[in-house]
Amino acid sequence: MKNSEKIPEGNPFRVPDNYFKELNGRIISSTIENQDGKKKQGLYVRLRPFLAVAASVAVLAILSYTGIRLFSPHNESVSLTEIPVEEYSETILNEIDLLTLEENAVLTGIPNLAPNTDKKDIIDYLILENVDINEIQEQL
Amino acid sequence: MNKGFRLVVERYSTRLYWHIRRLVILHEDADDALQNTFVNAWRNISNFRNESSLYTWLYAIATNEALTLINKRIRNSAISLDDLGSWFANSTEGSTWFDGDEAQVKLQNAIIRLPEKQRIVFNLKYYDEMTYADMSKVLKTSVGALKASYHHAVKKIENILSGI
Repeated sequence: MKNSEKIPEGNPFRVPDNYFKELNGRIISSTIENQDGKKKQGLYVRLRPFLAVAASVAVLAILSYTGIRLFSPHNESVSLTEIPVEEYSETILNEIDLLTLEENAVLTGIPNLAPNTDKKDIIDYLILENVDINEIQEQL
Repeated sequence: MNKGFRLVVERYSTRLYWHIRRLVILHEDADDALQNTFVNAWRNISNFRNESSLYTWLYAIATNEALTLINKRIRNSAISLDDLGSWFANSTEGSTWFDGDEAQVKLQNAIIRLPEKQRIVFNLKYYDEMTYADMSKVLKTSVGALKASYHHAVKKIENILSGI
């Protein structure tokens, strides 16, 4: 008796057979091993949806690109924004056919805006510009 | 860390089981509370500082788990352990996991009628033979108050056992 002679000693409680033999194993499995299991599973569980999404996006991208390449009629066209302004201007000017433009103007009835000029007016203008009179006569 | 925790489990599991069992009485409850105690200890082992010993730290967790379970049981009120004598005699759980004589039944009835704090102090001192200094760390109570609690608990139990 520890402190009181009136209080009975002993442990009246019982436990199932082999309880304490199995107890530590169960505690370990619910703490340490459970933690390890979560870690291993966590990697797999976390990666799986991301991998699925990444694979889907990759497949869609490849299919879209292939479709555009195969079925686009202007697959070699270059965007205008990719051409420098100077190069673009030269290209346009080189491609304009002045004779075609004049013909189109005549066909569409655009009036000739050049004023009626007299031969005498031309000679006066050239003399004013100090052009040699002999040269003028040769040209005329 | 894992190896260290295994050693802690091996060293303290039985002692903590009995500490919890004396508070909650039922084996199933004690088993649950003990599992929760070590799960909590494992989760918080990184926060453990050497301000208290591992022994008192584990006892504090175990005591909290036991009290949480007791309060849950009171709320659910599925089982009443007010009269342990009849419960030990008449229920399967009680008769299977209790092997005490009449004096032991009277003692357990007396202990369970103590106020919660006195019951814990009595169990820790009488059964676990814990020093007041360690008990002070477990229960966050002064040594003087613990001595007084134990003294009152012993007196009440003696009176109940004497039929006074």
